[in-house]
Amino acid sequence: MTESHSFPVDLLYTKEHEWTRIEGFTAQVGITEYAAKTLNDVVYVSLPSIGAKLKQLGTFGTIESIKAVSELYSPLSGTVRKVNSELLTHPELVNKSPYGEGWIIEIEISNLAAEKPALLDHSQYSAFVASIGKQ
Amino acid sequence: MKRTPLYDFHAAHGKLVEFAGYEMPIWYSSISEEHLAVRNRAGIFDVSHMGRVVVSGADATPFMERLLPTSSSSQPVGKSFYTLLLNSSGGIIDDIIVIKRQEDYLLVVNAANRAKDIEHIKNIAGHFAVDIRDITDDTTMIAIQGPEAIQALQPLTSANLPEVKRFTHTQSQVGKSVCTMTRTGYTGEDGFEIILHDSGIRDSSAASSVWSALATRAAPCGLGARDSLRIEAGLPLYGADIDETTNPIEAELSWVLSKGKTGYVGDDSITIFKTTPPQRLRRGIIMDDKIPRRGFIITDLSGRQIGETTSGTFSPLLRKGLAIGYISAPDSQVGGTVQVVVRGSPSGGKIVKMPFYDDAAYGWKRTR
Repeated sequence: MTESHSFPVDLLYTKEHEWTRIEGFTAQVGITEYAAKTLNDVVYVSLPSIGAKLKQLGTFGTIESIKAVSELYSPLSGTVRKVNSELLTHPELVNKSPYGEGWIIEIEISNLAAEKPALLDHSQYSAFVASIGKQ
Repeated sequence: MKRTPLYDFHAAHGKLVEFAGYEMPIWYSSISEEHLAVRNRAGIFDVSHMGRVVVSGADATPFMERLLPTSSSSQPVGKSFYTLLLNSSGGIIDDIIVIKRQEDYLLVVNAANRAKDIEHIKNIAGHFAVDIRDITDDTTMIAIQGPEAIQALQPLTSANLPEVKRFTHTQSQVGKSVCTMTRTGYTGEDGFEIILHDSGIRDSSAASSVWSALATRAAPCGLGARDSLRIEAGLPLYGADIDETTNPIEAELSWVLSKGKTGYVGDDSITIFKTTPPQRLRRGIIMDDKIPRRGFIITDLSGRQIGETTSGTFSPLLRKGLAIGYISAPDSQVGGTVQVVVRGSPSGGKIVKMPFYDDAAYGWKRTR
């Protein structure tokens, strides 16, 4: 299958296939289109509690497809301020709109400058995905 | 890595994974869509990776009587039956379909067990006048499954499909290919498994044209949907739900043991299993909300371990998590409430009879 992926330029990415959209002290987090396609049908997303403290690249939940379960890793340290509770009844939004309605959590971040170098920009992430495809 | 004759289609349209040494499609579009296409309409699967072995010769029937716990001589030519290869301890070497043809027996075995099964079959063959021939690479096998499978397949064949009853087969042709068509499957639905005799890995052109013709009438489905469909139907998967450490009684497969039959490999052990109450039984569990996976602990409501899951999935039809597993016999009553430990958290579920779906509404026994 010829795979094409879209990786928006305004997002930062992890090697665990999460994305984050940073606006001031808020970072929205979801999984990339590549991850959503690889999982295939997302059928369950477990969400953290509001107020939960997350560490950069620490797990904050799980996402399940029909066949498999994967951990979710936070791109940045921070405090969970919002969760996308639509996903509890409509987990398929992660497949339909991974960068939009399929967002998973929003965190308040505090240490962006120190943590940003550990994240990938869109071109680094797309090179990373291409290297996985060749393995 | 091995490829089936239909590899080019899978590579062009599907997501490939390694399965039993073959590059196989796990899905083409979405596991859910493919799964529901089979439950509601029709789907096609490339099952060419499964092993196909022909047993022929003067002693073919006495040999099959020695090999299998299911009587072969009492089956009429034309039957296709599900049975087990057993070891001398009564453990399950493989679960197979036997197609009893005019001249021979055609055995369909699990891909991962093909070499092991052939070795076992040859060991048992000993002094019997039989010829054992592996025709896997010289043939192609396609399953078409679903309530509309017959309608989708009929225009491509001269066989009168409604006349071929469940668990029987016919020798016919599909397109220009000579084939064995057996009304069996691994989804719970009606349909056929078609073995094309004129097309294998060295000449895939006839198989490709049959597949292409079918693909316009039924949804191509990958191994992902094949697994979720067989779990919903309560059908065991070799290597997950059954293996050499499970016996047919605890696996709830004692119906394959022909009544009164002796003289087959494993029969002494089977006699003991039959007369001793089983320690554990294979059961289906439907979850309240969580999704169980293979290898999860099953407990009673007090948290005492009573078993372990051997398969798990999310059911696209029922929108619930389903598990197959073994539960200690005293705790295994259908209707009982249990917990499955999902990544540390005990999650509620109920023991139910399989198939998991309402068999008046879905599956080959459907009445509406």
